[in-house]
Amino acid sequence: MNRNATVWLWRAASFAVAASFIALWQLIANLKLVSPVFLPGPDRAWTSLVRGFSNGDLGNKLAGTLEHMAYGWLAASIAGIAIGAIIGSSRIMRTYVAPSLEFLRPLPVSAIIPVAIAMLGLTQAMALFVIAFGAIWPIMLATIHGFAAVEPRLYEVARSLQMSRLAVIFKVALPSASPDILAGMRLSLTVALILSVVCEILAGLDGLGHWVLLSARAFRSADLFAGVILLGLTGYVTSVAMSMAEHRLLAWQAAQR
Amino acid sequence: MANAAKRFEVIPGQPRPQIAFTDVTLQLGGKTIIENLSLGVRPGEFLCVVGASGCGKTTALRLAAGLYQPTSGRVDFDGQLMLHPRREIAIVFQDYGKALLPWRTAAGNVSLALEAGGMPAAERPARIEELLRTVGLPGHAGKYPAEMSGGMQQRLQIARCLAQEPKTLLMDEPFGALDAMTRQGLQDEVLALVAASGATVIFVTHDLDEAIYLGDRVIGLLPHPGRIGIELAVNLPRPRDQLSTREHPEFLRLRRQLFDFIKAAEQ
Repeated sequence: MNRNATVWLWRAASFAVAASFIALWQLIANLKLVSPVFLPGPDRAWTSLVRGFSNGDLGNKLAGTLEHMAYGWLAASIAGIAIGAIIGSSRIMRTYVAPSLEFLRPLPVSAIIPVAIAMLGLTQAMALFVIAFGAIWPIMLATIHGFAAVEPRLYEVARSLQMSRLAVIFKVALPSASPDILAGMRLSLTVALILSVVCEILAGLDGLGHWVLLSARAFRSADLFAGVILLGLTGYVTSVAMSMAEHRLLAWQAAQR
Repeated sequence: MANAAKRFEVIPGQPRPQIAFTDVTLQLGGKTIIENLSLGVRPGEFLCVVGASGCGKTTALRLAAGLYQPTSGRVDFDGQLMLHPRREIAIVFQDYGKALLPWRTAAGNVSLALEAGGMPAAERPARIEELLRTVGLPGHAGKYPAEMSGGMQQRLQIARCLAQEPKTLLMDEPFGALDAMTRQGLQDEVLALVAASGATVIFVTHDLDEAIYLGDRVIGLLPHPGRIGIELAVNLPRPRDQLSTREHPEFLRLRRQLFDFIKAAEQ
């Protein structure tokens, strides 16, 4: 009861802070401390947001970005978990492959974009490749770690039960690594969103990135801000959804704490 | 070599040993852990293995499980060379917390062994319930291991091992981490379970009283490298009783003999 009340108090406090930031923003805009050409108030941004959705423009752009993000992230997840599982479950693979990964991992994905454009052109395929390439690292590295950290005793249990290799992967290793894998997937979600926007800007693909770029070029600051707000919301909502999925899938972990 | 091999030839009127070590030597990382160990365990026998820490008790058990292969010599199970672990041989590990799947409930952990044995899904729930009842965990099917006490987790591990319907049960200091009362209760339960199933048992422990209380035979190992130092037949009446068995003159005589051996081995 008491703990509940504290939680609500903190929640109310964080809303108050957010509200005061918006109020401050409105104040700066009203006082024209920054030219209205560059900084619309929250009122104008909101109006633009509502207008964008009512005529369907913004909805289409949002759908485009979500599509890029989802395909790239899913491709990265499937490939990352598969490759991570292969590398992580073998000590030899870890020894041979891990150093190369350490070299590739810190490579900025933006450096890959010109290569991808040269090979694939300004296409959806290029965007998919770049997003997946950027988003694969957190998932793959987390999966490698998760597979390497499986309790050896459990493998002995599996051996004494004469479980098949496939059964060991799906009943022992994968569930054991799932907390790591899901954490990696959550990190990758943010990377996927960032790269979706970058690819849309660079390749002129339909999406919020493109909308933001065009609005800025046309000095439609209210539209620009509407797009930025929508991108922020997209990041927030996907991350909350992922956390909820994690919570559900890892309910067994709650018992351990 | 020839001498040791002879020990386990089938003698008319005597059953073939279910597990037979013949001149087994095991080296790990250049160190000899076990040297020239020869040992036969009869079907249905309850063999206890004691010894100071580092004498290779657990290693010997892992050889019996097929988790290790000997550097030289051979380990046979039912007259066949042991090349890999097998479902007829179940192991109860000491660290029950690590040997259970934390993401599966008690029922799910027992189910793992049934799934591995190829039991159809429809038949599993009834069997799981029966096994959990056998080990004294009825009504805990939906609990995760982390929600159970140490004694309950060890019972759960025993239930999973029973689900393998093992011919041989290998137990590696299974009660070492439990308090005295829980331990005594589980000792009697294991004796009852083993008597009911007729399984052969190799039970490793550092508790000499426990070894004599449970076993038909107690083997004491000497360290560096591990080898047999003493072998005692335990001719105490069954069923054993926590009070009267432990007060039996024969129990006290064996206990004295075993203590003297361990003391001498440590010097």
